[in-house]
Amino acid sequence: MAIEDPIVTGLDSGWSHINAAKLTESQTLEADVVIVGSGAGGGVAAEILTEAGLSVIIVEGGQLKSSKDFVMEERVAYPDLYQQAAGMKTTDKAIGIFQGRAVGGSTTVNWTTSIRTPEPALDYWAQAKSVKGLSRIELDPWFEKMEHRLNISKWAYEPNRNNQALKHGCEKLGWQYTVIKRNVLGCWNTGYCGMGCPVNAKQSMLVTTIPAALERGATLVSQAQVIKIEHHNDKIFALKAQAVDKNMKPLPVELMFKAKHYILAAGAIHTPTLMLRSQLPDPYEIIGKRTFLHPTLLSGAVFSDPVNGHSGAPQSIYSDEFVWQNGADGELGFKLEVPPIHPILIASKTLGYGQSHAQLMEKFNQLQVTIALVRDGFHDNSQGGQVKLTDHGFTLDYPLTDAFWRAARRAFASMAELQFAAGAKQVLPISEGMPYLSSWNEAKKTISEMDLAPLKTVVASAHVMGGCPMGEDPKLSMVNSFGESHYFDNLSVMDGSIFPTSLGANPQLSIYGITARNATRLAEKLKVG
Amino acid sequence: MERRTFITTALAGTACLALGVNYYSSDYVGVNKELDDKHRLLFSVLVPVFLDGALPDVAALKRDAVNRTLDSIEHTISLLPQDSFDELEQLLEMLEGRLGLLILTGSMTPLMMRKQPELIEMLQSWRTSYMDMMVTAYQGLRELVMASYYSSPEHWSRLHYAKPTFLENMK
Repeated sequence: MAIEDPIVTGLDSGWSHINAAKLTESQTLEADVVIVGSGAGGGVAAEILTEAGLSVIIVEGGQLKSSKDFVMEERVAYPDLYQQAAGMKTTDKAIGIFQGRAVGGSTTVNWTTSIRTPEPALDYWAQAKSVKGLSRIELDPWFEKMEHRLNISKWAYEPNRNNQALKHGCEKLGWQYTVIKRNVLGCWNTGYCGMGCPVNAKQSMLVTTIPAALERGATLVSQAQVIKIEHHNDKIFALKAQAVDKNMKPLPVELMFKAKHYILAAGAIHTPTLMLRSQLPDPYEIIGKRTFLHPTLLSGAVFSDPVNGHSGAPQSIYSDEFVWQNGADGELGFKLEVPPIHPILIASKTLGYGQSHAQLMEKFNQLQVTIALVRDGFHDNSQGGQVKLTDHGFTLDYPLTDAFWRAARRAFASMAELQFAAGAKQVLPISEGMPYLSSWNEAKKTISEMDLAPLKTVVASAHVMGGCPMGEDPKLSMVNSFGESHYFDNLSVMDGSIFPTSLGANPQLSIYGITARNATRLAEKLKVG
Repeated sequence: MERRTFITTALAGTACLALGVNYYSSDYVGVNKELDDKHRLLFSVLVPVFLDGALPDVAALKRDAVNRTLDSIEHTISLLPQDSFDELEQLLEMLEGRLGLLILTGSMTPLMMRKQPELIEMLQSWRTSYMDMMVTAYQGLRELVMASYYSSPEHWSRLHYAKPTFLENMK
């Protein structure tokens, strides 16, 4: 029996979906609320607003793809489901960025790790960034609501060998570790979450909130890239969008969207880009600045037994041993996790070519990979990056600072120590010039002396945050603590761009919970209005 | 050579000249020399160097693998956003022109005329260069070739990797 595709079924039942790429004439569409983006923020907002009886249009630049299209091949998934075919990089090309670009946004392709916003981050926002009402006690009911909605629960099965190594290493060394909560229902444990869930087990926005909103009459417009916010005084009066092909190349048709209220939920690069391009008022020059990644280092380890890191839930264990060790604004901390291991991902994020690279690839199934996600945005020497406009789009200028490189050296050492404790025969820090290391003693010495630099050390990130921060002080923020614009009565932002720093945790549940809170308040206001 | 002649030759240098195609009879790679606007010839020189040790040992299989990789590279380039496309195009055009070749490699010897150790030396000099531009050129080409090669299921046998078959079995 074939897997049922809920999107195909829904469309057949009469959901309102417009593929802008197929339009031949320009159109104007109206609703109570127009939401730009269909990821973690846009999806949750759409469900809550339609539940409240409001009419909603969801505008998404990417394609509408669904389980019938998710064929578990990187060559299909990356062009279809990721920004820039998963090849997006910072301005100097030192950091690769994985961000979703399809209906469901990054939730369609993430690895399902669901973590409530860490308390030290929330405390720091309250104390240093004028954020109000977002303590963990105040947010916990919203996290519970979304955990219930998206079936977020602790992974009850044995971690795959890749995650097991992380767990065993932590156990041997006495380090903290946690079994991850995942947003899955009936997961087949195959390991292909990053290419779109082929069996609709992942409770992404694509199969949960967006279908719920469409059932209640919302309209989904895909392959329409919003290019301008039309505004006058303290009102937004329209959004202008352009139809785009599957590679985001512009097509001739334009669309106008009109609403009582507008929500930007295009993610922490595209929301600031749209605001900058639309020249929204920004007296303190905040938009696009303090955009954060979790710049991530990779450490490979060769085991004598098969690891088969492509198979099984990609992330089921993490360690927070080093995230908050030096206090929120002290030396940068890092979270330890593992990635799924698939051919393109590993071939492109390792080093070298020719014989040495071929030999590494031949060890593919013996390869364990640990990653360290560095927590940016709290320390004085960790101000993140800046989204800037270019002739054809945007660029994220993200200088890697001395504080980052100090953290990177500590992270490489911790990852090597962990991997040897877990039984690795060899460890290979993914940075130019590093040899295979054969013992923790050798690793300790070599890593303490290793050269670390942009373009020499492989750095990647799957989490983009900030650039349109929230807070009560307009000198520090673009929106208030409910995501409402300081400058426009009818504009809200509901995505990761409102975070004043990075999180030190995978962001999806933070976006779900905070958006649930803010969209509920917006729905109440709009119903009264 | 008079200076004037040198400049004229350099600016008139075509991809074929830079790659030495005039001297090279290729029945190995599927390239139409008259219509090589997709840089296939250039990549047909670079792919075997980047993938030495990964490509199949048997000649016919190797030829097929190289051709699949060239197809995949062409497809990947077509997906690039405009800014990245422009940057890559500039790099490839430099590698296909004599002046660009001189700037990037310190030699006007066509790539197709260089032996494998010389091509490795060229890649190594970019890889370890103190100039970011050279390093990003190396990394851009490396990522493009690696991603394109390992995107094909036909190239996974040495990895002992295969995608699950349960979806096919359910049809």
